[in-house]
Amino acid sequence: MITPQPAQPPLVQQGTRWGLKTKLILSMLFVGVVPLVVGLGMAFWQGSQEIRDVNGESFKALATEAARNLDLLVADEVARTAHIANDPLVIRELERRRDAHPTHPANGPLPIDTDTEARWVARDPGIVTQINGSPLASLLQEYYTGTRNTSDQLLPQVVRSATKMLFLTDIHGTLVASMTTKPGYRHSQTPWWQGAYNKGVGKLYIEDVHFNTQTDAYVFTISMPVMDNLRYEVVGVLHRVIDAKEFFAPSTHVIRFGKTGHVMLIDNRGIVISCPILPTGIALSDKRLAPLITPLQPGWVEASSDGHGGQTESIIGFAPLPETSRATNGWLGGGSWHSFVWQSSDELFAPIQHLFIWMIVFGSVAIALLVVLGYVAASRIVRPVRTLQLAAQAIGRGELRTTIDIRTGDELQDLADEFNRMNTQLEAAFAGLTDQVTLKTQEVTYLQRSTDQILDAVPTPIILLNTLDSVQYMNHAARAAFHLAPETALPFSLATLRPLSAIVQTHVQQNLSEKGSGPPAPLPQNQGTEPRDPLAPASGREPAQANSRSELQIGPRTYHYQWFRLPSRPGVDPRIGLVLRDTTDESRMQDQLIQAEKSGSLGVLTAGIGHELNNPLFGIVGLGEAILDETDLSRAQAHARDIVAQGQRMAAIIRDFTGIATRERTNQRIPVCLEETIDLALAAMHTAADMRQITIEKLFTGNTMVLAHPDQLRQAVMNLFMNAVQAMKGSGTLRVSTTVTDQLATTEISDTGPGIAPQHLAKIFDPFFTTKEQGEGSGLGLTVARRIIRTFGGDLRIDSREGQGTTCLMTLPAILPAPPKEDLWTPSAPRSEPQPSRS
Amino acid sequence: MDPVRTALGAAAVTFVIGSLVGTPFAPLAKEPPGVQGISPEKVADYVYAILQADRTIYTTQVVMRMQEKGIVKASEHWEQDNALPLPAQFLQHSGRLVAESGRGIRYRLIGRSPIYQRNAPATDFERNALDALTRQPDQPVRGLVTSGKKQFFQAIYADRAVSPTCLTCHNSHPLSPKRDFKLNDVMGAIAITIPLE
Repeated sequence: MITPQPAQPPLVQQGTRWGLKTKLILSMLFVGVVPLVVGLGMAFWQGSQEIRDVNGESFKALATEAARNLDLLVADEVARTAHIANDPLVIRELERRRDAHPTHPANGPLPIDTDTEARWVARDPGIVTQINGSPLASLLQEYYTGTRNTSDQLLPQVVRSATKMLFLTDIHGTLVASMTTKPGYRHSQTPWWQGAYNKGVGKLYIEDVHFNTQTDAYVFTISMPVMDNLRYEVVGVLHRVIDAKEFFAPSTHVIRFGKTGHVMLIDNRGIVISCPILPTGIALSDKRLAPLITPLQPGWVEASSDGHGGQTESIIGFAPLPETSRATNGWLGGGSWHSFVWQSSDELFAPIQHLFIWMIVFGSVAIALLVVLGYVAASRIVRPVRTLQLAAQAIGRGELRTTIDIRTGDELQDLADEFNRMNTQLEAAFAGLTDQVTLKTQEVTYLQRSTDQILDAVPTPIILLNTLDSVQYMNHAARAAFHLAPETALPFSLATLRPLSAIVQTHVQQNLSEKGSGPPAPLPQNQGTEPRDPLAPASGREPAQANSRSELQIGPRTYHYQWFRLPSRPGVDPRIGLVLRDTTDESRMQDQLIQAEKSGSLGVLTAGIGHELNNPLFGIVGLGEAILDETDLSRAQAHARDIVAQGQRMAAIIRDFTGIATRERTNQRIPVCLEETIDLALAAMHTAADMRQITIEKLFTGNTMVLAHPDQLRQAVMNLFMNAVQAMKGSGTLRVSTTVTDQLATTEISDTGPGIAPQHLAKIFDPFFTTKEQGEGSGLGLTVARRIIRTFGGDLRIDSREGQGTTCLMTLPAILPAPPKEDLWTPSAPRSEPQPSRS
Repeated sequence: MDPVRTALGAAAVTFVIGSLVGTPFAPLAKEPPGVQGISPEKVADYVYAILQADRTIYTTQVVMRMQEKGIVKASEHWEQDNALPLPAQFLQHSGRLVAESGRGIRYRLIGRSPIYQRNAPATDFERNALDALTRQPDQPVRGLVTSGKKQFFQAIYADRAVSPTCLTCHNSHPLSPKRDFKLNDVMGAIAITIPLE
């Protein structure tokens, strides 16, 4: 275990953040409760189904069994009744009564009986004695009491008491014999008598339950036809009236199960014949129930009511009484009797409800157990995690001094071991780091000191500023330049530097703001020493360049300054450095140099002009002398024309020098064929220079038209040729080629001379710059050529490598995209063969 | 014997004269010679033949075919079971219909060992007839019987087990007292009763 640190209070938990323990307990609850609830629900549902099915089948079986018993009970009574009806005495007496009136139609009332009937109704003792005391009545009594029956045909006591009337009619429906005085006298029109007589054929007729006024009870009747001794025809009807409730109660009321389960007997109208609960003779409470439960086959249904006044869903088993139903009301279609087995739903489903309640109780206990066990388990899991958390906090503060002791034997223990190992390694690493930091700090201090000393030793003032214009550092030289006391504390505002005038401050601040906002601009170059063409008009750029010269005037001294950027450290404003260079002496010296160079240039110019003008002048003088000696006028005229031409050339040279041509004829440009101009210039070259040892290769693309002044263009080209020829010093190869690309005509002139040194390459367009001997070149050729070409909208570029010759690239805008007669540029088949020419 | 001869002669003369005189009125007096009717024996034979034919057709062409094809079976409780009546029931029910029609002639099945006691022989005549038919099945028993003052002609024909349906039912019915019937055995008899007015 770790030592109890003065632990900081745990972080205040925001909102309802649930801890690990709560989550674990909830997870366990969730994992436990969901299957429990689902299982309970499914068990309850399945249990209900099973109970319903099992009970339904049981009820069906019970109903079938009860129906069979009741059927046999009725069949027994029918058999006993038939036994009486088959008695030979009865048959003989009834045959006798039939034969007494042979001509009278059967089942019609005898006229003499009207009187007798009245006497019977009046209970006349004579007729009562005749009917109740007749031999047949005695016979019925004997059967009833059992004295005449064999031992197996004895009327059970129940049946005897249930039999409310037993009497015999003859073929006319007239009462013949009766045990009591209750029966009526004439029955031929009653349904039971008609049914049993059945047109003389005879048929068992069991009447449905109805209320009998004579016996004051709900009764059913059995009417048995008495057949003659041949079984040929009916001679009378034996009729029994039986109290339904008394008869069936011993059979139905004894079958009870549970508190409400019982068997009852109903007919197909839904009238109760016998029921332990409902009185006999009333209809079932739900009329819709009767069709459901009175099919001719046994079965069970789940009905919406129970027939006993309840509206709950009920399971009812039922079965018909097959033999009895066959005889009720004469035939099967006349009605049927059914047993009905029912138990209250509350009782029926009580077991599953008990089970459900118990399952809820057990489930609650299980959930409570889950909570308790979950709490214990979660605590056991969370405790080492808490320990680890505290340990991690201690490690984070570097305060963990003892090892974490967790003995859970699982991943947490491994984790604690890892923590311990990590803590040990961290401690070791921290110890090494402290030493290194000390060492590095010493190194940094040393470096800083040595840098300061180096910077102080440098004579150049160096200032470090941040973008807020405060001075971060100044070396000794800077302090001296700004006359600052060496003890002035840093940093301070740049504005406090007294020697800086307000203008300089603004200048520096402007520069600072530019540098601070945009990408580092190219540092200004020292441009003050560039030679310039004194004849060329000043271009627009030059004054700006002059203004942007990075010079500071501090007192009597001039400083050239240069900004440099310092790599910024994280968290610190970027810093910039300022290096000042004292150029007071240097600019003075440069001014002197420029003056000297310009004096030299005048000599060169003079020599150049002389050289340019000398050649034609010599020609003129020579031609003049020739004219003097010439007698032939035509030749003299030819010489004179040459003199004029030479004179024009001289004039052109002078114009070029003075720039008059540019001023006069800028607007008089005409389409000129570039190749023709080149050819003309080459031809002129032959007269101007020694071309004998020089091979000329021409590669022209065609009639390339440019807009230019022909003379000037030829002059420019000639200047280029002259340079090349002079560079080759009389021998070599001069290559001339023209190409047209993107409406740009390019003329390339290459020589095989010695080339131009790199240090001279930047200056070759400067006026009077030349590498030739004095008088050999004016230093104006290229200058003039470039100015002419620029006048025409083109440009001139010189490529050269020392020892490998020089290439002039002259570009001019082509005016007429000449219709391509052939490929514009076919190096293998040039339009004009390179013609080496010698002169 | 003269008076007899005389009488015979007179009768013959009367007959001849009557014949001659009556010839023009023959249509008015057209009575068939056998006006006394058919003997009850023949009526019973006819009825028996019809009964046998009907029941045989019902048994072979209806019951057996329906059962073989599995369409519907014959069952004792045919009303509840939505089945066909058994051939014996067919005869009994048709007998009831005949009786209920009120023509007078009735027939029923009787047997020494009936499933239901109501089909037991009712009289000594029937009992004796059954005994006789057991011995001589092909010899029907005929005779006059009385019920009170009424006289009836009764003819009793042996009834054999003509189809397996008969055997199955009688040998397996819980109420059957005899369960060893074989095909073509005399199981009982058809009793035809004709009233004699």
